[in-house]
Amino acid sequence: MSSITLKTFASFIILVLFQVFIFNQINLFGYINPLVYLLFMVNYRFDGNQTFFIFLGFLLGFSIDLMSQTGGAHTIASLTVSFLRPIIIRYAYGVTAELPKSFRNDSRVLNRILFLLFLIGIHHLIYFVVVYFSWDAIFIILKSFSLTGLFSLILVLLISSLSRPTK
Amino acid sequence: MQRIFNALVQFRNPILYIFLLGFSLLFLSSRSSFHQNTLEKVGFYFSSGLYSFTNSFDEYFHLREKNTQLLEENTKLKSLALKANTPFLYDPYLGNSKRFPFTVINANVIKNSLLNQRNYVIIDKGSEDGLEPEMGVITASGILGMVKSVSKKYASVISILHKDLKINVRFKNSSAFGSLVWKGKNPKEFSVEDIVLSSQIQKGDTIVTGGMSSYFPQGIPLGIITQIKSDTNSGFYVMNAELFENPSQVYSVYVIENKFKNEIEFLTKKAKK
Repeated sequence: MSSITLKTFASFIILVLFQVFIFNQINLFGYINPLVYLLFMVNYRFDGNQTFFIFLGFLLGFSIDLMSQTGGAHTIASLTVSFLRPIIIRYAYGVTAELPKSFRNDSRVLNRILFLLFLIGIHHLIYFVVVYFSWDAIFIILKSFSLTGLFSLILVLLISSLSRPTK
Repeated sequence: MQRIFNALVQFRNPILYIFLLGFSLLFLSSRSSFHQNTLEKVGFYFSSGLYSFTNSFDEYFHLREKNTQLLEENTKLKSLALKANTPFLYDPYLGNSKRFPFTVINANVIKNSLLNQRNYVIIDKGSEDGLEPEMGVITASGILGMVKSVSKKYASVISILHKDLKINVRFKNSSAFGSLVWKGKNPKEFSVEDIVLSSQIQKGDTIVTGGMSSYFPQGIPLGIITQIKSDTNSGFYVMNAELFENPSQVYSVYVIENKFKNEIEFLTKKAKK
């Protein structure tokens, strides 16, 4: 097993544990729990195996659902995002997405923020739609989507900028 | 085979995604009864459309069977309705056979005519089904005629659209008797003859079968009076009637058999001698 795969598994397990035991207990303003496990989706190699990644995305959501006693909302959202990730990358980075990661270490900040916006936006939208699953709750969905999404975005940006020097 | 395999490899990501999505939907519905309910509603919406689509095909192919069933049921109901129409002439202890001595057999019209002055109808039941000459033939809301001759599987019926056929009729509201005769033109226009001027008749009165002949049970509604003139010379009314049902557009009919017809005819012949 290569060191990259090992790293992937390690970050997978750590993110699941962090999400379930720390970030799910925040309850900021009573209902905001940032979904930080999306860092896994952000940090996975852009040129990695997509089929394997879809399966990993599914497993990620599934294990969070199992451990935090929720329905299948995490599973569906992260599965869909992992399936759409190549499209999001192509949209956010343009042609440079095809280049290996080492070339893009200093890639433009705007592209990265766009990428995170799409990734987190789609994920949160699907997540809250599945959680409430009713037209009557459209305003609650929009409110939770925007506020939680904002906090997740901030946290993901913070953590990824903190961890960047170590890579 | 190779192509299928290639396609599978090429679309492995969407296939995997859809498979896992299905799994997570199942997981979702097993975890939360709210989601299960909502998903079932969505599923029901689609499946009900599909079911009604296949059902319409299914129904179309079973129409013949359904028709036969309905005819059988109608035959039963018809005999009950006739029984209910017939006034009970006898005490109940005489038994139902005496009170309503008719049996009902259903049949289909296979040939009908209205262009002649003396019309005949062919029906698809014959001596094998128990038909005999001189049985009455009725329709859903009226009468069609009388069996003339019978072969093994078919029978010919003297249509009510026959200038020489006189049907014994009565009024629903009064006890006056007369006979119904076709006028020979419009299949719904008939004249009612032999009703004496002393009886109280109004336009719009309903005529029913009289029950004086042994062919038809009493009280089958036939039509209404459309015109009344009193002819003082003859002492009879001249009346026009319109039938409820057009006899030339009838497809399923009921043949009725009077179980005691032979006895009645035997007595009639004896009295005439």
